[in-house]
Amino acid sequence: MIVSKENGKVISVRGNPDQPFTKGRLCVKVNNYQERVNSTDRILYPMRRTGPKGSGLFEQIGWNEALEEITTRWKEIAATSGPKAILPYSYLGTQGILNGLNVGDPFFNKLGATISERTFCDSGACTAYTMTIGHTAGVDPESFVHSRYIVLWASNTLTTNSHHWPFIDEARKRGAKIVVIDPYRTRTARLADLHVPIRPGTDGALALGIIHILFRDGLTDADYISQYSIGADELAERAAEYTPAMVADITGLSAELITELAHGIATSQPSVIRIGVAIERQSGGGQAVRAISCIPALVGSWRRPGGGLLQLPLWAFPVNWGAFIRPDFIGPEPRVLNQWKLGEALTDEMPLDPPIRSLMVYNANPMAMAPEQGRIAQGLAREDLFTVVSEHFLTDTARYADILLPATTQVEQEDIMFSWGHFYLSYNNRAIDPMGEAISNTELFRRLAKAMGFEDPCFSRTDEEQIAQAMLWDAPQMEGITVERLKREGFARLNLPSADEYAPHAQGNFATPSGKCEFKASMAAEGNFVLGLFRQGYDGQQSGEPIDPLPHYIAPQESRFTNPVLAARYPLNLITPKNHAFLSSSFGNLPHQRRHAGEQPVVMHPADAAKYGIAAGERVRVHNDRGTFEAIAQVTKDIRQGVVVAPAGHWASLNSGGATVHAVTSSRYADMGAAPTFSDTLVAVERC
Amino acid sequence: MAYVVTDNCVDCRFTQCVAVCPVQCFHADETMVYIDPDNCIDCAGCVEACPVGAIDDEFNLPDDQRYWIEKNRERAAILPRLTGTMDPLPGAEARKAALGL
Repeated sequence: MIVSKENGKVISVRGNPDQPFTKGRLCVKVNNYQERVNSTDRILYPMRRTGPKGSGLFEQIGWNEALEEITTRWKEIAATSGPKAILPYSYLGTQGILNGLNVGDPFFNKLGATISERTFCDSGACTAYTMTIGHTAGVDPESFVHSRYIVLWASNTLTTNSHHWPFIDEARKRGAKIVVIDPYRTRTARLADLHVPIRPGTDGALALGIIHILFRDGLTDADYISQYSIGADELAERAAEYTPAMVADITGLSAELITELAHGIATSQPSVIRIGVAIERQSGGGQAVRAISCIPALVGSWRRPGGGLLQLPLWAFPVNWGAFIRPDFIGPEPRVLNQWKLGEALTDEMPLDPPIRSLMVYNANPMAMAPEQGRIAQGLAREDLFTVVSEHFLTDTARYADILLPATTQVEQEDIMFSWGHFYLSYNNRAIDPMGEAISNTELFRRLAKAMGFEDPCFSRTDEEQIAQAMLWDAPQMEGITVERLKREGFARLNLPSADEYAPHAQGNFATPSGKCEFKASMAAEGNFVLGLFRQGYDGQQSGEPIDPLPHYIAPQESRFTNPVLAARYPLNLITPKNHAFLSSSFGNLPHQRRHAGEQPVVMHPADAAKYGIAAGERVRVHNDRGTFEAIAQVTKDIRQGVVVAPAGHWASLNSGGATVHAVTSSRYADMGAAPTFSDTLVAVERC
Repeated sequence: MAYVVTDNCVDCRFTQCVAVCPVQCFHADETMVYIDPDNCIDCAGCVEACPVGAIDDEFNLPDDQRYWIEKNRERAAILPRLTGTMDPLPGAEARKAALGL
C-alpha cells in the first residue's frame, strides 16, 4: 500500500503497482483506509467509563492516570486472587509480527495471567494439516498459473483473497478448469466453470467419496504413494465405506458430480486444492481437512509446480516466534482458556477458580466475532469485572470498557509482515505520526511492563530492535533480504525457487514425524491439540481427545438428519461467511463499507421464503435457543434450499435489534484444534 | 455497489482498465466501456489505470452523475465482455488534452 499525505495527514492510499502479487490493486476493505485513520469517531485519548457498562459514556484521562489505574488494579488482583484472574483477549485486528498476534504474549506470560487460546482462524485446519503433511506452505499461490484443475474448497476467493484470482484466471486462459465447492453460489462460484453446491458440514464425506473413487477407478499415483506416503492401504479400506451413493445422500450432490470431481482432480495434472477457513467451522472440520489433505498425494499432484494443496503461506516465513512470544516466561501451572468460551468464562456457566476478575482486549472485538453474543454481553456487564480495551473505535466490546486506550492504525506504526496469501515479506513503514495520544501495541506493552515493574530487557525493546529480531535472518529463505532493503522497497519475495519451479513436495519432504504424507497420522496417538502459536507458546494441558488416525466423516450436530427434534423447531441451517466489505468486524462501522454491505442480510431460497411467508427485502428475526438477531431477507436461488446465509462482521450496536449473527452461534468446538462450529447451527427465520 | 465508468470515457475508450481488471467486468460499445456491477469486486485497480479519470466509486458520484450507475448496469448486461485492451478511439488523445489531462 502506498500512502499519500499532505501536511502530516493521510489523504489517500493505493496499491503498489510494482508488487507482483497485488499488482497495484487494494480491495474494498482498505481502498479508503484514510477514512479509517481520519475518522472523527477514532478514540484518540485514554478514557475512563462514566456511565453504566455498555453505555459508551467516557471521560478523557491522561496516560499516566490510565496506566496507574490499570496496574494498581492488576497488582491487587494478582495479590488477592492470583494473576490467573486476569485474561488477555486478542487476535489479529492489527496485523504485523510486532503489533499483531503475539504482541502481548511476553507481558501476559510474565504476569502469569490465564493463557488465551486463540483458535479464531485456521487452528482446526492447522492441526489436521500438520498431522497429514506437516507445516508446509504448500503450493505457491503464484504457481496456480500452471495448475490444470483448481478446486476452491470453501473459499470465496474474490471476497477474501481477491489478489489470488488473476493467477487462477490466467490458469483458466491456459486451459485449466475452476471448481468452487460451497453451499452458496458466491461471486467466486458465479465465475467458476463448475459450482458444487454441497450441503453444509458434509465436506469430509465428499473428500472421502472422492478418495473412494480414486482407489476404485485406479486413478491413484502408485509410485508417489509408495515412495512418499504411509497408510495408503488403511486409507483405501476406510474410503471403501464411502460409496458414491452414500456420499451423494449425505452431501446432497449427485454421484455423477462426485465422480466428475474425482476424475478431474486425478487426471488433470497438476491439480490443486485451495482450502478456505470455512472448511474447519463444522463439527467434523478437522477430519474433513485430514481427508482433503490426503488427496494431492494420492494422485501425485505434488510432483509439479502448481500441484498440491494451499492453505497457509505463513509457514514459508522464517519468523523468530520465540522472541515475540517468550514461552519461557510461562509458570509451571498455567491456566488455559479458549477464546470461544468467553461468554461462559465471564458468567456462572463455567465455574473458574479464581474467576476472571479482569479482561484486557486488544486487536479483537469478541462481541462481534465470538459466539454466544448474549452471554458475552452479560459477562461484560458484570460490575466486578475490570475491563481494559485498546481500540481505534468504540466497538461493541469497547463500549463495556472501564478503561479505554487509543491505538494507532497501520499507517501510524512501524512493522514487518509475513503474509497469509503470498510469499512476499512486507515492511510497514510508518507514514504519519500517531494521531492524538494513540500509541502502537508495542508501545502499550512497553508502558504496561514498566508500570508493572517488569525488568526483563525484552520489555524495553524498541520497535527497531524488535524488527531486527523479527526474522531468522540467516535462514536460506532470507538470503538477500535485509531490513534496509525492505524499508526501501517495501517488500521482498522469500528466497525460494520461482513460482515456475517451486514444487516443495515433488520428492516427499513432508514435515511430519515420518517425513511422508501420513494418510494414517502418527500424531493422532497423542490426541487433539492446538498449535503453540495459537496459545502464547504453551504446549501443555492439551485437550487430548482421541483422534482416529484415519480420516472419517463426522456429521453436523445440528442438522435435520442428525437432530430431527431440534430441526423441527429450527429447520434452517445457518452459515456465516465473511462480508465482502469488512475484515471480520473491522470496517463494520465505516460509512463506505457499510453502504457497500447494507444492513445485516440473511439470504434464503425462494422455497424457504415462501414456506415461512417471507418476502424479499422484509425485516426478519433469525433465532434459536441461544439468541436472536434481525436481518433483511434476500431471496435467491443462489443458496440451497434449507440453508440460510448471514455474513458475520456487522456491529450489534449498529444493527436493528442490537444483535448480530453470533447471537445464535454456539461455542461448541469442532473435532480438532478447538475450531468453532459456526456452520453447524440450526435457526428459524420469521417475519418481525 | 461497484465502480462506475462516467463521461470522460466517451469518445476516448483507452481500455487500460480492462488490462488491470481481475474479473473481466468491462463491456464496450462504439463509444465507451461499462462496468458490470454484479461482478465488480470493488478493488479500484481501474481507477488508477484510467488515463482520463473516468472511473469512480458509485458512492463518490455527484448527483448529476449518478445516472451512470444504472447506465453501466444496463449497458454491461447487453454488451459483449472485453477480454483484452483495444486501440483508443480516433481523437482520444485530443479529447484527453481537451479535458486538461
